[in-house]
Amino acid sequence: MNKKFELVAQSEVLPPLRRDLRQILTQIGWNKKTTAEILLAVDEALTNVIRHAYQGTFGKMTVQIEDAPERTEIILEDQGKKFDPTKAPLPELPRQKPGGLGIHFIMTIMDQVFYDENYKEGNRLHLIKLKSKI
Amino acid sequence: MKIQTANRDDIHILELSGELDYHSSPELREKLNELTGKQTSKILIDLRGVDYMDSSGIATFVEAFQKTKRYQGRLILAELTTTVRGVFEIAKLDSIFEITKTMDEAFEHFTSKV
Repeated sequence: MNKKFELVAQSEVLPPLRRDLRQILTQIGWNKKTTAEILLAVDEALTNVIRHAYQGTFGKMTVQIEDAPERTEIILEDQGKKFDPTKAPLPELPRQKPGGLGIHFIMTIMDQVFYDENYKEGNRLHLIKLKSKI
Repeated sequence: MKIQTANRDDIHILELSGELDYHSSPELREKLNELTGKQTSKILIDLRGVDYMDSSGIATFVEAFQKTKRYQGRLILAELTTTVRGVFEIAKLDSIFEITKTMDEAFEHFTSKV
């Protein structure tokens, strides 16, 4: 199953996107808990696009789901300012100050996270969940 | 997200429902800032209607929690759904916050513990 969403980079698009992704991930066969976790990771990554790559300015972002027998991959692209979440420092936990948890969620929930350095137009992030770990 | 407010004796209750994310958390933050700005001593958040929460939601609670601690107030989170509890656990914040299974348990905490 492959599916691509083209979105405006605004926080208003996140709730309807989550509903669509929830349906797709459930159809793929992910259980309720893992579906909720993957949704959270995607949501955090897109929030970073809105906050850091576009910094409140108008822009577009795409979410592509590619499902394979051994894994589900979600590819996020935007044309904003370069921001590599895999290089951001991870917070010490439990963090008793607001903020800084989004990247921890992404890195904890997903099995593999790749930032594509060769994507010149902006940012491309690959979020991978392996089915062998179900 | 919907926020409903109520009072029971000196306990200020916020009943939340819907999704608590980057889009909706500013509204909750404003409400909690109002309460902590007045140094409300007992704040109870009813989370049974919240079926989704991200790091923006957690950050909002962390901020309010720190503010209440500064003036010796208390913030209790009650009736977390499985999904929301899972987010607190991933953040390793489930042991930092005062969390109760039920609203009744939260009322007992407020009256019996300092």
